[in-house]
Amino acid sequence: MLKKLLFSALAIILPLSVLLAQGVPTGGVKGTVISRTDRTPISGAEIKILQRATEVASTTTLSDGTFTIEGLSDGMYDLVVLSAGYLETRVNATVNDGYVKQLFNITMTQVVSEVTEELMEEFDMDDSGYNDNPTVLFGQNDVFNSIAGYNFSSVRFRARGYTSESQDVYLAGVKMNDAITGYSPFSLWSGLNEATRSKTTVNGAEVSDFGLGGYNGLTNITGTASAVRNGLRGSVLTNSSLYRLRLMLTYASGRNDKGWAYAVSASARLGGNDWIDGVYYRSFGLYGSVEKSWGDDKHNIALTFLTTPGNRGAQNASTQEVYDLIGDNMYNSNWGYQGGKVRNSRVRITNEPIAFIKYDYTPSFNFKASATVLYRFGKNGYTALDWYDAQDPRPDYYRNLPSYFWMENTDYNRRNMFKYAAAKEAWTHPNLYEDLVHLNWDRLYDVNRNSLDEDGLKRAKYILEERHVDQKDLNFALNFKWRAADSFILTGGARAKMNKTEYYKIVNDLLGADYYLNIDSFAEREYASSEAKIQNDLEYYLRHGQTPVLHQGDKFGYDYYAQVRNMALWLNGHFAIGSFSADLGGELGYENFWRDGLVKKGLFPGLKSDGSDFIIDGVNLSRDSDGNLLPTSFGRSEVCKFLTYKAKLNLNYVIGGKMRVYANVGTFADAPNFNMAFLSPRTRNSIVNGLTTIKTNSVDVNWQYTGNGFNARLTGYYTTIKDQTDIMSAYDDLQNAFSNFALSGIDEQHMGVEFGFRVPTFIPSLSLQGVVSYGRYIYTSNPTMVQTLDNTATPVEFNGATSVVIPYWKDSPVYERDENGNITDRVKYTQVHYIPSTPQLATSIGLNYNYNYWFIDADFEYFDKAYLDMNPLYRTDYATQGPDLVATPTEIEYMTTQEKFDPAMLVNFSVGKSWYIQRQYQLGFSLNVKNLLNNKNVKTGGYEQTRMVDSTVGKERYYRFDPKYFYMSGLNYMLNVYFRF
Amino acid sequence: MRKFFIPLLSVSLLLMMGLSSCQEWEPVFTLKYEDPAAYSQVAKTPTITIAELKEMYIENGSKPLEILGNYVIGGQVITSDESGNLYKEIYIQDETGAIDLKIGKNSLYSDYKLGQWLYVDCNGLTIGSYSGMPQLGIEDETGEYETAYIEAQYIIDEHIFRGSIAPLPDILEVTEEDINDAIAKGGFRSNLWGKLVTIKGLKYGAPSSYRTDAFKRIFALIYIDPNKDKKAQSNRIFLSDKTYGVNTWAMTKTKFLEYLGAGNFDSATTGDDRPLDADIMASLKFNAAAVTLSHYFSLGVTPVQIRTSGYAKFADTPIDPVILGDPDSESADGASIDVTGILSIYSGAAQFTLIDLNGVVINKK
Repeated sequence: MLKKLLFSALAIILPLSVLLAQGVPTGGVKGTVISRTDRTPISGAEIKILQRATEVASTTTLSDGTFTIEGLSDGMYDLVVLSAGYLETRVNATVNDGYVKQLFNITMTQVVSEVTEELMEEFDMDDSGYNDNPTVLFGQNDVFNSIAGYNFSSVRFRARGYTSESQDVYLAGVKMNDAITGYSPFSLWSGLNEATRSKTTVNGAEVSDFGLGGYNGLTNITGTASAVRNGLRGSVLTNSSLYRLRLMLTYASGRNDKGWAYAVSASARLGGNDWIDGVYYRSFGLYGSVEKSWGDDKHNIALTFLTTPGNRGAQNASTQEVYDLIGDNMYNSNWGYQGGKVRNSRVRITNEPIAFIKYDYTPSFNFKASATVLYRFGKNGYTALDWYDAQDPRPDYYRNLPSYFWMENTDYNRRNMFKYAAAKEAWTHPNLYEDLVHLNWDRLYDVNRNSLDEDGLKRAKYILEERHVDQKDLNFALNFKWRAADSFILTGGARAKMNKTEYYKIVNDLLGADYYLNIDSFAEREYASSEAKIQNDLEYYLRHGQTPVLHQGDKFGYDYYAQVRNMALWLNGHFAIGSFSADLGGELGYENFWRDGLVKKGLFPGLKSDGSDFIIDGVNLSRDSDGNLLPTSFGRSEVCKFLTYKAKLNLNYVIGGKMRVYANVGTFADAPNFNMAFLSPRTRNSIVNGLTTIKTNSVDVNWQYTGNGFNARLTGYYTTIKDQTDIMSAYDDLQNAFSNFALSGIDEQHMGVEFGFRVPTFIPSLSLQGVVSYGRYIYTSNPTMVQTLDNTATPVEFNGATSVVIPYWKDSPVYERDENGNITDRVKYTQVHYIPSTPQLATSIGLNYNYNYWFIDADFEYFDKAYLDMNPLYRTDYATQGPDLVATPTEIEYMTTQEKFDPAMLVNFSVGKSWYIQRQYQLGFSLNVKNLLNNKNVKTGGYEQTRMVDSTVGKERYYRFDPKYFYMSGLNYMLNVYFRF
Repeated sequence: MRKFFIPLLSVSLLLMMGLSSCQEWEPVFTLKYEDPAAYSQVAKTPTITIAELKEMYIENGSKPLEILGNYVIGGQVITSDESGNLYKEIYIQDETGAIDLKIGKNSLYSDYKLGQWLYVDCNGLTIGSYSGMPQLGIEDETGEYETAYIEAQYIIDEHIFRGSIAPLPDILEVTEEDINDAIAKGGFRSNLWGKLVTIKGLKYGAPSSYRTDAFKRIFALIYIDPNKDKKAQSNRIFLSDKTYGVNTWAMTKTKFLEYLGAGNFDSATTGDDRPLDADIMASLKFNAAAVTLSHYFSLGVTPVQIRTSGYAKFADTPIDPVILGDPDSESADGASIDVTGILSIYSGAAQFTLIDLNGVVINKK
């Protein structure tokens, strides 16, 4: 054996031959194997020493986790650690000068993650009008995040109340947050769980090796072949709340003796689910990566390609009236039967591949650097019904509901009980009146079929359009880490992004018709007499003398580029003196963006190419009635430019090896996102007034204990965010136009505590675990609002002003009642308004059993202090005053109050087990049951409709429209069976 | 291991492809949907005629009547709301007459085609009058009108059935005598009202009659603030004593603002005879909405108002100056026109509704 080793060493590693003459090797390795989660030693772990993929020595760890292997000649070795219940761990070790190399702690990760990480998928599940990304950055090594990430996902818990945009997500060192929206981009690789499993995460305002990060953590997904677990892995997963089936197959070669590694993975997610009709997946995932290292691993280059093409049916929110009538809070109004089969009108159709090349340079132990070029491209479409001069086809349109016909409150002037009863009859018998309570596709086809023009061709009244947001996103990133001295590490880097995103619509399906016309049907209502003005593509119309005739696949509506450029340089110094360490870092950046219109819209054509006005049939389209130039839909907008910066200080003190106290302070100036910068990007170049950087200051103080099986973290944090903008768009069917509400100067404050713990109990392998997140996330300013309509350049006037402060945004008064219970005009207290759509109190307590490849976890959760997203319109004087221009306490209280959701209790249970067969194959399963109490009344989000009932009898006040809600699924399960060779 | 790998990979990939192509993961189907079959045309046998239905109203003492029992009428659709001049109503006509069917939906022409046979099961519906004009709807529980819109889709589906699409019925040509005869009979006794008719030789402007106190060309009622009392004269402006330079069939909001901005209405007064001061002008601008306009024509000595909605697509289309003649003269001196559309009765006067501008033909002078 030894001879063989010597022979191969001689043959392959020539430089070492000199040492052979010295006789029996004296070198070796030693170290301690510990658990990553609680830093406890792992006894009986098997250690194998490989050289060039051949096993040369082995041993097992002692009861204190230590091991020593001697008799190794100088050279490079792979050390493989195996232990029941833990993932295989590999480390490189170099033996030189005949010494026994001290490797110190080798950490192993528990198999627990097998169950937990699968769950992260759920975040990406439904397109429900708002963002669905994970809001707790999952980290197995942080007790709070591992429990919260696992248990809080179904109620859309967002750590510290922050939005997903504030969370930095990197792939191979490149910041992947969407250039337009800032959203974290998990959907780009969802379904490729195995290939993207390897990741590094920091919390809050901590500093990562990959970037300075913001105030809400940073996660970097490695994404290269060598980071995928070796061997062949396959899994079959079935699930009752997302899709029926997921298949995944992954193979990773590991690094061979020539320095090559490759990995491939493919997956499919298919089918509907038990809870929400119409929601389905037909998604695939493909991943391939090759990697090569050379020059004693000094150089490493990896090439990776991944894509997750597919379709997903989306969910829609409805009002409580609809849910109550149907008797189902999971009712989804997006679908209907076509030929007896469920067809969803809102389907996301995506294929957005990512390709990157990453080069790593590690000239010495003290220095490493990497460079990545990453390109994201492809198509992202989202279907929706569009109609021209036809009835609103949505089944839950408010005029189809009983409440439209009769309301108890006589102010509404809805007094027809007969109609009310008729509408109720249909809604309470969904099985008998499928075509009334679901989308009636048959009718849409019929209308199209009978819509004959003079030539006998069928002009579509209803079509399925596909709204595209197609990105071309090119990124460069450079990172380095230099250990200048034992007490000083310098990390830094540079990144740059060029993004060109095309927004446009195509005709997805003519629904049985022959053609559709490219006109703006909303403009037509207002400017029916000017055919030129209602054109979406004026130049085509002028050139050909007719409106473009559309067929399947043709572009129409709007077409423009969002152009975004940004770059940043960052540097962080890490200082360590004894148990004390500190990080001081900063980042400077520059971002600019602009809109670039590709078509001239009749409403806003700008000027002709020769600089003259568009005057057609005596109407000057370029100017308003006062002769002022209108904003233009065509060409480049003004460029919005922002200088951005970040600065961070982190102080860290370790007490006795197990306890750590640390604090982070950060100040940030971030550019606003493109999607919050333009008033009505579908129609013109107009930019929101007062656009500026978003200023954030954040501080957190933390205490952490890890040791002897105990694991706990306590954090207190305080963050202020200032000068945010927001654009809300809603179809206003009173104005018969798309209406845009631009808010500027939104300030927030987030403060609270996080506590997570896992402690052993008197029963071996059973631990008690829990988390508490208690926060107060509130609005601290009254922003300014400008409302515009897509049809017109003039902002909407509210009592004579176009720019209005929203007086009841950050808080609203609650009035005292007199002895008879009637409202008085004395203010009792002022109620603050909260950041919506996340529980501000989230707690979990449970038991975790983990022994001999068994994993059992049972948790009880309680959530409270979740609030409904507010619309600005209801908080204006305009809304509280009503048509009579007098704001009474009744009106103010009614109109401005923010809805608080009921608290929720949930029980989750998981069990998993894996078996090693012949020490080579692994077979396992995990079963996760969520919401065991089958609670179907948990609101997870929703929104207020941005419109008011103004056709009231007394004409003294306005009324709100009912809000729309999303609910959590009832009892649901996920079963995953996996194998590994 | 490699000997496992390749076959396993292939088998799994095949399995994946197989599963993804057989999309029977109920209840969602994700492949190509077949076009649905056309709706089946209903052929019902009417049990009564439209004239008989109207007779039931008279027998009820000319009060709104909720019809109970097996009463089915059948008639052909003779109007379209495509131009927007009619809204939430269609007229159907049989051998005996026509009636205004109040269906509370927009874009009815998508579902109910010109010439299409409709069968209305009147059981549970209400027949009533709108200022003399027969309408079929449902009971208005507020009592404000005699009928309310047939609105919930469930009610529509229960009562209105679509039959075959046929050519329009022959268009009746009516004379001044026919109109006066029908006015004398009233809305429910004459079979003329609501029918698709052609009137020949209309001239712009109507001399004073029992309905008007002077020579009239236009009539419009504008509310200064529609949120305030609409009945108060102080909140009303009547455009009727002269044309104010209005030469369009009606006014969209845009057109109204254009007239207002050009000073056309500067000399108008409120219902209580106050001039339009700056406050009123500001309110008119702020509350601007489409304005429905009646143009007075005369058939011989009988006035016929052509009423056009401000929401009609042709609202802002100017009336040919040849038709208008001299706006200041006290006589109908323009070119005569032939119009085709719906003849209705409103408070004892003939009112005419164009379905679209194809219904207007100018006669050579």
